[in-house]
Amino acid sequence: MPDERRRRLTLVATDGEATAEDAKSASRSPEASASRDLDWSILMAHAQDGDNVAYLRLLQEIAPYLRSLVRRWHKDAWDIEDTVQDILLTLHTIRHTYDPARPFGPWLVGIANRRAIDRLRRRGRQVLREAPLTVEHEATAAAPDSHDDELDKHRLTEALGGLPPIQRTAVDLLKLKEMSLKEASEATGLSIASLKMATHRALRNLRSLLSDRRDW
Amino acid sequence: MDTSDLIRSLATNAPAVKRLRPPLVRALGWLLLAAVIMGLMTVSHGVRPQFAERMQDTVFAINMIASLLTGVLATIATFFASLPDRSRGWLLLPVPPLVVWLSTIGYQCFAGWVPVPPGAITVEAASGCLATLILTSLPLSLLMLAMLRYAAALRPTSIILMGSLAVSAITSTALSMFHPLDATAMILGWNLGTAVLFLAGAALLSRNMSKAGAGKEDRTSR
Repeated sequence: MPDERRRRLTLVATDGEATAEDAKSASRSPEASASRDLDWSILMAHAQDGDNVAYLRLLQEIAPYLRSLVRRWHKDAWDIEDTVQDILLTLHTIRHTYDPARPFGPWLVGIANRRAIDRLRRRGRQVLREAPLTVEHEATAAAPDSHDDELDKHRLTEALGGLPPIQRTAVDLLKLKEMSLKEASEATGLSIASLKMATHRALRNLRSLLSDRRDW
Repeated sequence: MDTSDLIRSLATNAPAVKRLRPPLVRALGWLLLAAVIMGLMTVSHGVRPQFAERMQDTVFAINMIASLLTGVLATIATFFASLPDRSRGWLLLPVPPLVVWLSTIGYQCFAGWVPVPPGAITVEAASGCLATLILTSLPLSLLMLAMLRYAAALRPTSIILMGSLAVSAITSTALSMFHPLDATAMILGWNLGTAVLFLAGAALLSRNMSKAGAGKEDRTSR
């Protein structure tokens, strides 16, 4: 058994980092894929024994493969990268569950599919709860003189016209021209108390006038 | 965090781990421990009166054998299905004996309905049943939980349910040896009911947590 293990270990060909091209070319033929699986099994067995170099190499080699797996489930680049990281973290947490006597591929794909589906579910819940931000949500960016605003302005002017003259003057000076009570009192010659009273009545009248119209 | 950074930090923090034994060995180990616990419980309680005569009764014998088989197969299924590279098909393993077991429960309930006068099973008897049942099944559940904690990252729901079934079936078999009343319905209700309760709680909690998390993200992103 130890002899066989040593013989299998020699199948790990080169050192160094694997790239996406390596992974792609390795997956072309079934023999290459089988030998890659064997390599990964050996690397994982070493990693379980505490060999950090083998573990680093394994994780670097499987990352592009995981990306291509996850691409079947997710389209968004952020989602793909997050899922790959999720898979790597899960693999790290449960790396003791791998049995080196069995192929590495199905074990990895089992974890990858679980994590990808979990993320799909989470995304599904988010989509139900959230709506994309559109121009309509930008309250400050809306054009100030839209059709509705014009209509409202027209209604307000009409309602103001229906008020008694003192009340109309009070609203005009205090609310629309934003004068202080003292300034308005000087401009009209009315006392502050009567201006206050007139404004109060005017607002009450306006409220009833406008709420009546809303029912039309 | 960048994936390559994550890989580097994972690789530098990877001490040697102890590999899991094959699932069949682990299942048998759990069953052995279960047998020891059940044996001790039976010795401490004493075998129920007329156990030998009861075994002559076909329905009782079938019920016991079926529940034992369900327990054994459900345990094996749980340990196999908890691994990422094993098929979900393992979860179907205990179905045949489970069907037989449930059908005999139905028969017993039906048969017991007529002769038992109303009020025969008192509250005291039922609470006694429940106490025995909890005392028997709790150590088994905790043991299984400890042995299968890694499965939380994979298929938690089916594993919890299958594990609960295994505990229920084993407890039921043991209880029929030393407990005079047939408590199958209560055992299943207790174990699977608790499992379902926990799952529902976890589902609600996780949904709320993800909502809260999303809310927090929203706030921080503004």
